[in-house]
Amino acid sequence: MELNPPLVIASGVGGMGEYLKLIDPKYIGAYTLKTVTLFPKQGNPPPRLFATESYLINNIGLENIGIDAFIENLNANQYEELFEKVKVIFSLGGDNPEEYKLVAQKIATYEKYFEAIEVNFSCPNVKNGGLNILSDLFSFKEVLIYLRKVLKGFLIAKVGVEGNFVENVAQIVKDHGWNGIVLINTIRGLEVVEGKLIKGGISGPVLKPIALRAVYEVKNKVPELYVIGSGGITNEKDVDDFFKVGANAISLGTAIYKNPQIVEKIAKYIRRCCE
Amino acid sequence: MENFSLTVKKTFEVTRDSFIITFNEKIDFAPTQFIMIETPSVVRKPFALGKWFDDLAIGIQVIGKGTQYIVKQDVLLAHGPLGRGFVPPSGKGAMITTPACLAMAFDLHQRYSCDVFIGSLERLQMEIPFKTVFGNEKFVNLLKSLNGYDWFYVVGSDQMEKVAFNLLREKAPVYLSFNEYMACGIGACRGCAIQTKEGIKHVCIDGPVFRGDLVWN
Ligand SMILES: Cc1cc2nc3c(=O)[nH]c(=O)nc-3n(C[C@H](O)[C@H](O)[C@H](O)COP(=O)(O)OP(=O)(O)OC[C@H]3O[C@@H](n4cnc5c(N)ncnc54)[C@H](O)[C@@H]3O)c2cc1C
Ligand SMILES: Cc1cc2nc3c(=O)[nH]c(=O)nc-3n(C[C@H](O)[C@H](O)[C@H](O)COP(=O)(O)O)c2cc1C
Ligand code: FES
Repeated sequence: MELNPPLVIASGVGGMGEYLKLIDPKYIGAYTLKTVTLFPKQGNPPPRLFATESYLINNIGLENIGIDAFIENLNANQYEELFEKVKVIFSLGGDNPEEYKLVAQKIATYEKYFEAIEVNFSCPNVKNGGLNILSDLFSFKEVLIYLRKVLKGFLIAKVGVEGNFVENVAQIVKDHGWNGIVLINTIRGLEVVEGKLIKGGISGPVLKPIALRAVYEVKNKVPELYVIGSGGITNEKDVDDFFKVGANAISLGTAIYKNPQIVEKIAKYIRRCCE
Repeated sequence: MENFSLTVKKTFEVTRDSFIITFNEKIDFAPTQFIMIETPSVVRKPFALGKWFDDLAIGIQVIGKGTQYIVKQDVLLAHGPLGRGFVPPSGKGAMITTPACLAMAFDLHQRYSCDVFIGSLERLQMEIPFKTVFGNEKFVNLLKSLNGYDWFYVVGSDQMEKVAFNLLREKAPVYLSFNEYMACGIGACRGCAIQTKEGIKHVCIDGPVFRGDLVWN
């Protein structure tokens, strides 16, 4: 995968392309869409967010329109402007192994629209699927085999640090013919806000050392995998650090909520210093 | 919608914790639209756009670190305007709010000639052109006395909005501004969802104003 710059907008954070209203596309290497599942999901009941100076906790629950509606929109050219402006990565999810396979079957016909297909094996905010698949290596491998058969293009697994050691997961991903890995997703966390529990995924600056270690371990064990570093990247030093441990690209997520112009700043930095 | 910076022209202290901040810039916006302002938090925070006489303005109540930060700045980074502008039904309307929302109230009053009523817990430190009542009991009495209006628009805390909604709902349609936590303000993060009688809505793109009876029983 050739990205210029090697900077992607993280899945879910940027929705279905909304940030193109605020970010000049020439600074985006690829824009990852919100994870799409087999059936539409309403998401979790509010409150869904809580933020501090060092992290965001989100409990969105993969709210999305489902693969059929997504394909309907695709056929109705609803995402045409997005495809014209940036390279797009599709994010695939499901509630169980069967659903991953069905979504893959459905999106296979449309692979040409996407720079890569990213498969979300790490959402902490859904009861099944997401993180759970990773903790059962048998179903995980089954999904890897099937999806590799059905999808012909650049295939990326998005994994978190919970469920299994990332370097072992990365080895399995590579052994099944997949091309890349996104490290990491949010990590399960909990906050008590005005007496209410907010259980969700933690993102933002606190994730950086954890994500950096994950990239380091994976690159040491499986150097051939294309690695997208994701977790708490907010400034030029973070970018340097991720490239130093071997990341092939970096992902900006929560940082765009603080200031969408961070994308332009970091893209310019990468073009100046790292290419 | 765009990224911009706003330079502070003047800050008025309305009460000990509520302020009106006016800006040198002009922005085209529809009534009740808002902007997301950068603070030390990892997400920007929503504030309603308004006017104070001829100037672009926001009203702000200082309640935490973000609002403490905002009132001390000379320049604010933000994006917007966001959300749908509120278009009230025809007829005479009344807006009921708190000292923190004076800028929005001023704008609505100018655009729709609605009456504005302010409920405050403490005395105001400046003259304002709207009727103000002090304390919870007087506020409830005020709400009970409001008759002959074709619509109401209430903005404040959830608690204040609930009290007002229950006292006004039999008299005319009541519109409320919803206070969901936001990260993006543009429909991307899906964080500001609320359950309505017409299904899930997102406060930042479908609101922030909804008819109360569409959301609350
Ligand atoms: C559409 C909309 C318009 C608003 N307009 C105004 C306004 O004109 N004037 C005004 O004073 N306040 C307004 N608010 C509320 C304002 O955004 C919060 O008071 C502010 O974010 C508090 O930040 P803090 O860091 O000082 O407080 P914190 O200590 O972080 O939080 C205090 C409380 O503020 C609310 N809050 C904090 N962060 C957010 C966020 N990212 N999104 C939504 N709510 C949050 C939460 O209820 C929280 O419990 C508006 C809220 C919304 C949703
Ligand atoms: C509001 C929100 C929604 C997210 N939704 C998804 C999603 O749908 N699919 C996914 O793979 N990751 C999702 N993520 C995780 C991000 O893509 C990213 O991996 C994570 O936030 C860590 O990176 P950051 O610290 O740069 O945000 C979401 C994160 C946030 C904050
Ligand atoms: S605040 Fe992100 S979708 Fe409304």
